[in-house]
Amino acid sequence: MNADGPHIDAEGCGGNAAPYVLGALTDEEHEAFLVHIESCAVCREEVAALQIVAQALPVAAPQLSAPPELKRRVMSSVREDAHRRHAERVASSRTSSSEGEGERRAPAWSAGGSRASAGAGAWLRWRPNLAVGALAACVIALAVVVLASGGGGGTRVIRAQVTLPRASASLSVSDGQAQLNVAGMPQAGAGRVYEVWTKSSPSGQPRPTDALFTVSAGGAATVGVPGSARGVREVLVTSEPLGGSRVPTRAPVIVARVS
Amino acid sequence: MQLVYRGQALAFEVIYDRHSDAAFSLAFRMCAQRALAEDVVQEAFLSLWRSGARYDRSRGSVRTWVLGTVHNRAIDALRRRTARDRGLVAEEGIEERLAAPERERTEIEFARRDEAREIRDALDQLPGEQSRVIELAYFGGLTHVEIASMLDAPVGTIKGRMRLGLAKMRMTLGDPTEVCNEC
Repeated sequence: MNADGPHIDAEGCGGNAAPYVLGALTDEEHEAFLVHIESCAVCREEVAALQIVAQALPVAAPQLSAPPELKRRVMSSVREDAHRRHAERVASSRTSSSEGEGERRAPAWSAGGSRASAGAGAWLRWRPNLAVGALAACVIALAVVVLASGGGGGTRVIRAQVTLPRASASLSVSDGQAQLNVAGMPQAGAGRVYEVWTKSSPSGQPRPTDALFTVSAGGAATVGVPGSARGVREVLVTSEPLGGSRVPTRAPVIVARVS
Repeated sequence: MQLVYRGQALAFEVIYDRHSDAAFSLAFRMCAQRALAEDVVQEAFLSLWRSGARYDRSRGSVRTWVLGTVHNRAIDALRRRTARDRGLVAEEGIEERLAAPERERTEIEFARRDEAREIRDALDQLPGEQSRVIELAYFGGLTHVEIASMLDAPVGTIKGRMRLGLAKMRMTLGDPTEVCNEC
């Protein structure tokens, strides 16, 4: 037994093994115990013995089905991330073939975050958020569009019009794929879910997508817009009954005009 | 997992489909709020996606890896909450609304149901004082210090109950390996 470990207390060596495997040590104790077991075979053995049980405890919870919209949120982010990684690899290879041209980054506030974009040119138009009362007569208008790229290769970040107070949304478009990022959104309501729609012309009918989503407790969500963004003029979001709708049953709460 | 390492979203989707119900069940059991449980599961899976290369097969199954990550995220979330928030009661009726649907069961699902029943039975068979500290720690996200304060018992007593309870569960579940009593 190693008596030099920082976690040693009145109970003697091994006393922290059980709370460790249950996740019940404080952060400081946890860190100290990790250091300790590096050199204490007794505690390692104790942890190994008790951890078998602790790892089985999750199944003691009543088994529920994960909400379908949760999968859409997770996989939307995963696909977007996979797409971003691919784009970054491509951009990296482009950069290495054009050294000396320099690099420009997307604005810090953009949903693209750290995504670097090369090129020049930015254009934007802005119209302030509408009040909730205007929701029924939602006037589709362009908010802010930032072209954070140039040369045809980067990411465009489009700030969408949102009819809900304190909420904001932006659409990132890169290599023909679009991702919607929302913040400060209220929950869609009991028995309802947000649904993403696309339009290929301003006067055309919204086409449903299979992107249904809810927002986090903080009102945030990241949603990949299914299909190619090429030819899409507008991306809209409405509140719909669970399972989504084939045609919008309510006025859009988010409208992003792509071009 | 090799495909996940390479950033293939479809491979990750298979992992999500296999383990998301268990992950959500654990998160909801700990958080008692659907929105918070969803956030925890989302954070956990995205973390796993971004750190797939850190999965160490020698340290357990993918399921253990997933549920361990969910557990850690849920603890983080619970400890961020204020004392007032901790008083929140579970959302009533959500178990019924989200109960795993009856469907054709695979052998794996049957085995998992049996395993779940065995674990619950083993937990139920413990003396109340031992099962309580284990539940407060594992599912409640409380530290042993907080549990000691809550139950008005010495910290050493709480640690001892945790250890005894886990050791008994291990014996009940049929693992013949003795837990060291001399440490």
